[in-house]
Amino acid sequence: MFRHFSLIWKSTLRNKRRTALTVLSIALSMSVLGLLMAIFNMFYNEGSSSAQANRLIVRNRVSLANVLPRSYQARIARVPGVKAVAIMQWFGGVYKDSRDTRNFFARFAVDADKVPLIYPEYQMPPDQLKAFVSERTACAVGNKLASRLGFQVGDRVTLVGDIFPVTLELTIRAIYTAERDNENLLFHYDYLNESLEPARRDFVGTFTILMDSPEDAPRIAQAVDAMFRNSPYQTKTETERQFELSFLAFLGNVKAFLGSISAAIMFTILLVSGNTMAMSVRERIREVGILKTLGFTNGKVLAVLMGESLVISLLGGLIGMTLTAMICAGLREAPSLFTDMSRLATPWWLLGACLAVAGCIGLISSLIPAWSAARRPILESLRVTD
Amino acid sequence: MSEVVIETRNLTKRFSRGEQTVTALRDANLEVRRGDFLALMGPSGSGKSTLLHLIAAMDRPTSGEIRVLGQDLARMSDGEIARWRNAHIGFVFQSFNLIPVLTALENVELPLKLTRLSKAKRLEHARRALELVGLADRLRHTPRQLSGGQEQRVAIARAIVTDPDLILADEPTGNLDANSARDALTLLSRLNQEFGKTIVMVTHDPHAARAARYVRYLEKGELLPDGQKPEDW
Ligand SMILES: Nc1ncnc2c1ncn2[C@@H]1O[C@H](COP(=O)(O)OP(=O)(O)OP(=O)(O)O)[C@@H](O)[C@H]1O
Ligand SMILES: [Mg+2]
Repeated sequence: MFRHFSLIWKSTLRNKRRTALTVLSIALSMSVLGLLMAIFNMFYNEGSSSAQANRLIVRNRVSLANVLPRSYQARIARVPGVKAVAIMQWFGGVYKDSRDTRNFFARFAVDADKVPLIYPEYQMPPDQLKAFVSERTACAVGNKLASRLGFQVGDRVTLVGDIFPVTLELTIRAIYTAERDNENLLFHYDYLNESLEPARRDFVGTFTILMDSPEDAPRIAQAVDAMFRNSPYQTKTETERQFELSFLAFLGNVKAFLGSISAAIMFTILLVSGNTMAMSVRERIREVGILKTLGFTNGKVLAVLMGESLVISLLGGLIGMTLTAMICAGLREAPSLFTDMSRLATPWWLLGACLAVAGCIGLISSLIPAWSAARRPILESLRVTD
Repeated sequence: MSEVVIETRNLTKRFSRGEQTVTALRDANLEVRRGDFLALMGPSGSGKSTLLHLIAAMDRPTSGEIRVLGQDLARMSDGEIARWRNAHIGFVFQSFNLIPVLTALENVELPLKLTRLSKAKRLEHARRALELVGLADRLRHTPRQLSGGQEQRVAIARAIVTDPDLILADEPTGNLDANSARDALTLLSRLNQEFGKTIVMVTHDPHAARAARYVRYLEKGELLPDGQKPEDW
């Protein structure tokens, strides 16, 4: 096979423009496929961090948009195996000009004093932590967010609420460093709660449970949900990892969505590559006759023709995977919009698998034209004039 | 007398196109010995190419027997025939049939790629074949950069590079001007005389036929007996 590589290679260069266009369209399609696979991998394959494994999230059984009474906090804390329970309230709101996506970041109202216990991965200097916990209007921001918006300790941040009809005047007292979720702003739940009209007070979106041991997760989740089964606000308790996935599901059927787009992309590549190969083979029927006269068997002719398609699709795949790696690197740095992209990795096995997919598509797409050309009788092939 | 390398008995080839059946070759009995240079002549459509293709096993006969270089071609599979042709047959076409994207050297090297020879050996053989046809200075040229006469000489180099027992040529001078035609014929004569190659050449040209040692004629699919010409030839 390899000794025929120069023939294959020169054949792909015969019609340079067509080959270049085919390679390019495969490259673009493959880069999108690679990106989808990287996203899929990030959502469903990346394991949870060790800190995450110790946490459960409690939310309203109906949906994320429904709330729970604050009084649940104390009752949940009494379930055996629960070390601590903290309020975690999503605060939508607007910071400065909301049309600039840089100004978008997640804001949570939390039990400030419980942050270091429940989120040990958020590292901050002790004096900053103390300042954050002790001041009612203090807030803490993640290091990536801080560097994006140039935040410094002491800066003032004004958040205009949308879900909550309040305007919060916050002062940055701490900058925490973390591997992920480092683009959030955390502030005191009490400050938010007291700013609200009495009727809306004392409701919470989610609670975060810190467990003694991850093994207790199923038992604790069941105990908590059972405790509120007969109340007007039923709960759903799941691991933080599951919660992230159900948050995604909130956006739609992500798996089916990614899957159907991937299938459409692969089908497109199949058509593009198949069309090119059909054209290329048709122009070379006579050459097939020549090769066979020289002693090439049907199998060798098939290998040469399919090899050409393989080279084109692998070339496209290679460029596509380079693009994927670049896009993912860009997204990792970009501000998070709906989910934390900083874990959008492109491991070698993923790029390799996509490349193999490209190669397979190349082979499949050329199989029919190459096979029908290869098995054509010599004299019939030679009679074809170009 | 030397050994018989081509032997046919009642060799017949019919082509059917729908209802119609054309008998391109009827009951041909031919014997060619090692070292012969045979020219096949006859009017257009008389079956010359058909006979040559059957000898090269590029097509299979409708009936009759054919033995080439001691092989009963009817008993060989397509794969065996391909390998056999690579090793033993050199074929020269009227329209050269070089691969346009390859250089002269690569075109000549091509049949050797099916052998076990190393790259260095392959190139050495290819270079020597091109030297033999007088194109040592055109190795890197592609067919498009060569004249018709040069292209045909590359094609001849390709046909002899595997050192085949049998060279088959179908109107090799048909597309050439007088000078190039003479060069090509001189080359074939040399291959026959100096290298002892057995050659069967189809031609329309009486000049060309003179390069051969003897001539057999075909008419309407019949191979005429030795020494007999078609009427009004
Ligand atoms: N594939 C085919 N299908 C049908 N008929 C064919 C086929 N090949 C050859 N023939 C017919 O067989 C006959 C002999 O053809 P062949 O090509 O052997 O003639 P030829 O002597 O080589 O003629 P020319 O000098 O024109 O090349 C012709 O009548 C031709 O039309
Ligand atoms: Mg002919």
